[in-house]
Amino acid sequence: MGRRFVRRGLLSENFVLYLSIVFFAILYLFMPYIASGRNLANLSSNLWPLLALVLGQMFVLILGGIDLSQTSIMALTSVVGGMLMTTQLDPTLFEKSPLWGILLSPQGSPISGTALAVPLGILAMLAAGMFVGLLNGLAVAKGRMPAFMVTLVSMMFFSGLAIYLTKSENIMYLPGGFTMLGAGEIGPVPYSFFVVLVLAAVAQVVLKHTVLGRWFFAVGKSIRTSVVSGVPTERVVILGYVFSGFCAAVASILYSARLACGRPTLGQNLLLDVIGAAVIGGISLFGGKGKVLWAFFGALFFVLLSNALSMLALPFYAEPVVKGAVILLAALLDVTRTRLLAREIVA
Amino acid sequence: MTETILQFDGVSKSFFGVHALHDVTFSLPKGHLLGLIGENGAGKTTLMNILGGVLRPDGGAMRLRGRDYGPRNPAEATEAGVAFIHQELNLFTNLGIADNLFIDRFPRLGRSPFIDKPVAKAQARKLLESLNLPLSPDTLVDRLTPGERQLVEIAKALSTGAEIILFDEPTTSLTAGDTERLFRIIQDLRRQGKSIIYISHNLGNVLELADEIVVLRDGRVVDQGPREGFTVDKMISRMVGRDISQIFPSRQSAPADETLLEVRGLSQPGIVKDIDLTLHKTEVLGLFGLMGSGRTELARILFGLEPFERGQIVMDGVACDGVSVRDSIRRGMAFVTENRREEGLLMEATIADNLGLVALPAFASPSPVRLVRARRLREAVARVAESMRIKNGPVDRTPAKNLSGGNQQKVVIGKWLLSKPSVFIMDEPTRGIDVGAKYEVYSLINDLAAQGTGILLISSELDELMGMCDRIVVMSKGEVQGAFDRSEFDRERILHAAFKGHRAHQRGARR
Amino acid sequence: MRAWRWICVSVAVAALVAGGISCSRRGDAPARTSVCFAFQDLETEFWVAGHKAITETLKSKGIEVLERNANQDANRQLEQVRAAIARGVNGIIIIPQDGESAVTIVGEANKAGVPIGVFNRPPANKSNAAIVVVADNERISELAVSYMAEQARRLGRKATPLILVGDLGDNNAVARRKGFMNVIEKNPDLFNAVIEVPTKWDAVTAQANLEAAMQSNPGVDFIFTSSDQMYPQIRAVLEPLGKWKKIGDPGHVILGGVDGDARAARWMKEGYVDATGVQDLFYEADALLTELLRAIEAGEKTPNKWIEDPGFALTQANMAERAMDMWGYKLFAEQGPAAAR
Repeated sequence: MGRRFVRRGLLSENFVLYLSIVFFAILYLFMPYIASGRNLANLSSNLWPLLALVLGQMFVLILGGIDLSQTSIMALTSVVGGMLMTTQLDPTLFEKSPLWGILLSPQGSPISGTALAVPLGILAMLAAGMFVGLLNGLAVAKGRMPAFMVTLVSMMFFSGLAIYLTKSENIMYLPGGFTMLGAGEIGPVPYSFFVVLVLAAVAQVVLKHTVLGRWFFAVGKSIRTSVVSGVPTERVVILGYVFSGFCAAVASILYSARLACGRPTLGQNLLLDVIGAAVIGGISLFGGKGKVLWAFFGALFFVLLSNALSMLALPFYAEPVVKGAVILLAALLDVTRTRLLAREIVA
Repeated sequence: MTETILQFDGVSKSFFGVHALHDVTFSLPKGHLLGLIGENGAGKTTLMNILGGVLRPDGGAMRLRGRDYGPRNPAEATEAGVAFIHQELNLFTNLGIADNLFIDRFPRLGRSPFIDKPVAKAQARKLLESLNLPLSPDTLVDRLTPGERQLVEIAKALSTGAEIILFDEPTTSLTAGDTERLFRIIQDLRRQGKSIIYISHNLGNVLELADEIVVLRDGRVVDQGPREGFTVDKMISRMVGRDISQIFPSRQSAPADETLLEVRGLSQPGIVKDIDLTLHKTEVLGLFGLMGSGRTELARILFGLEPFERGQIVMDGVACDGVSVRDSIRRGMAFVTENRREEGLLMEATIADNLGLVALPAFASPSPVRLVRARRLREAVARVAESMRIKNGPVDRTPAKNLSGGNQQKVVIGKWLLSKPSVFIMDEPTRGIDVGAKYEVYSLINDLAAQGTGILLISSELDELMGMCDRIVVMSKGEVQGAFDRSEFDRERILHAAFKGHRAHQRGARR
Repeated sequence: MRAWRWICVSVAVAALVAGGISCSRRGDAPARTSVCFAFQDLETEFWVAGHKAITETLKSKGIEVLERNANQDANRQLEQVRAAIARGVNGIIIIPQDGESAVTIVGEANKAGVPIGVFNRPPANKSNAAIVVVADNERISELAVSYMAEQARRLGRKATPLILVGDLGDNNAVARRKGFMNVIEKNPDLFNAVIEVPTKWDAVTAQANLEAAMQSNPGVDFIFTSSDQMYPQIRAVLEPLGKWKKIGDPGHVILGGVDGDARAARWMKEGYVDATGVQDLFYEADALLTELLRAIEAGEKTPNKWIEDPGFALTQANMAERAMDMWGYKLFAEQGPAAAR
């Protein structure tokens, strides 16, 4: 009975969710405050922006590619949005910026302080993210370059650009209408939830119910077969990277708003969390596999893990060790599960 | 009475309660060639995996040179003198011949970790000479023809001191000349006292080479005996378990006058030259040529996968100077490529996803979002799967990679049927599939033709084309060398045309 | 293959058990005061020493310390501080990634009503309430350069001064340069025109630019570095020119800097460097902790106080009395020349 229960759980599609729940329950025994209202709010505020990134990464992973440039897209869009929206720039910090006097002045940008600042700023951030994604996609699809190299180059280039534009300074004094996106809530639910919910819904509809979504999986499973079968593979690949860039921009909006500044180093160390969450969720690095729900489970697991580790009184050097150990265990469980599943199918 | 070198004694194996092998008993006499035949799924692969130490039998035993033999892994099988020449060769194309031969046991300088290159080369040269392969041991495998690679693989087997050599479909990618050479070498090996198990769907070859024949069906030995007791027809009926009156189903239609596809002066330097071709409604047009004759390349150009420089492709009376794959599909063309694993199927995807791939846009809502009408697609896919009798589990859950070769090929053909093509190009549609499945593919071709589709059938098996086609066009060196109507089909003349421009009969075309 | 899996499993389990033990051992006394110490990363010796001073003081007082390393990610630091607040810590100390993110994190603590202290890297503005301890870089530089000027006076000729300037995007660099300039401008009789060498806080840039400056101005005999980190580069340039000489040697270049790290300690002890401006790390740690613990004790939720560390200059003249007040000297004394490479 017990064994069958465990087996069912292992084989279930929701395996990572169950894993997260068990993990949470065990933690609850040791540190009940992990389920306090305040911490649940923390979890949710940490989860949604990460999920936005994982969703974007998922599209590229399904194509059999990888997007290393997501974090630099975050940095670039954070700076672009910050520059357009800020209401006050300290000349001693920013007068060396190449945009000083052209776009930037002590009062921010020409649209700063107007009613248009926030919507235009957000649109510019999204456009910048999609633009970088488009460049990635063109290089991969038309230039036939390996995704790893292409996005590695754009990771370096655009994070460099973000630092160059601001001379490595952070941009403060963002309007309240913007920072609210990161900190505001409706009842107990943060705004970021609604933003990412829309994103996830779009991703779900595209992947599950549109021709394009099926093409994504086909290209990821075999690009040569897709070409022969009349799939517009180049267009599909480009769209994948554009969506990834778009998602990175959404994450950038949420993170920048939460920190209340435009940062040229935003998310510098986040990339492995994103890819790790995607893989733990069950999205294959070899392409052709992925679900919105899996992305959610993966991100949830990672956020839970980070949060729990932040609460333990571990010596700081032990934290990454424990984190690695938990991920290793999860990966091992996943291997076991895949093996059981393979046997199940043959039988 | 010759000495028995290998004996299978009641070998059984089942997977999850399903018998893959049941009480298999036969013996291989020393210095003999045993032909092992059976449909896909008959248990040949399982049997060979047991012989090679990949799987362990559930019951029964094997005896090698009179002693119990039960390899626990492939290395033990090699150690015992059993070698395999696989259909897909296991060579490192980026390394030289000598490196490939000694990859796992280079001769060393004393006990040091350094390779004794001169010794390795000398040994490699000796092995190559014994196979009449006049190549330097440094030649990169990348540069070799498929036939030469096969010989390197044999050399590798010999270098391990193999006494029993197993060939699994060795001729599928060989030219006629290479095949002949391979057969000569197999005969030599046998004369030297090596014992050979030869697995092939090409029953003619088996009959030509074998001393004994063993027929497997559903995991059991259904017939075995000396070659003299077999004919191709008997072999087929034993494999299938019923009599097949003919290999090729009879045609129910004749070509119409209406032209579906016309090719005028098509040229691409170095590939094809001045190709003229006409395909009519309800016609099955054969395209014959040796490997490298340009037949596959022509098909790829017609479909838009490769560019062409001069000439025109006319479909529905509209001439085009250049086409893309998507144009071709829109104009009603379909294409089954010669390599179904790489270009025909999404191996990891389900049968249903594969069947639906081409016609997907036709099942989308007209809105720009293009939502898939899932129910209608599912029904259409189910109809195709049903009509093609694709056996093997539920279509929406079974991945294509789990299907047998024949069923896989049916999926590749089936995915085009939903888009109702008027011109269907099939490149080697029956390669590597068993007799039963071949018959089904032939029937499908006939049905399609009867419904008005024009079919361009490419094959390296002349018998197949002569059995199926209304007309055969022969290519050699990228040019059309002749066309033959059904009434003038003549083996000799067609082959003569196919070898036009080739210096020697034996070498075949070199890529 | 199987063995591999078992090794993996056992390693993972062992790490988890170890983690669990250490956390249950520490987590068993909820009544104890606990403080979250979140730092950005420990990039330089100064921060390492600061980290050590703070954690050791806290632990010696029986306070539970939750240490969090943000790995230079402001976002992660925000998440860590929030998690600590949710856990119910009594107070927070941060070394922020930068002044801007410090503002947001301090605001987060204010909202939750947990007293927060900011160590050495002040928030970019004073809109939120925190106990901030910050060194007066301008004054510290001034103190060191004043002593150097006295030495220049003894030369009996006009000295040619050179300054290695930090990244002027950094407030500390600006203040240190200002302190240097104040002294030079006060003593026009002592100095020729100042040669400014930009370093961008980067060793390679510093060495290349210093090399070039020394070639075009061979007469330089007075060098001030905005950070003691640069001594290896200074030595690499001066030594081949025959100018890396001890005090008292006619070829000696008057040398000084700011930071007070172990390198400065070594070269002062060996008699190459005249003075160094010291951020009084021990004072800063102590002042911050005292104030924070007082606020916790008093139940203040949003204490707001800026504490200036006046710093001091360690010179060849006062070395005997004050050397052990310099954090770098203590490091040097404990670890020897290994700490001062």
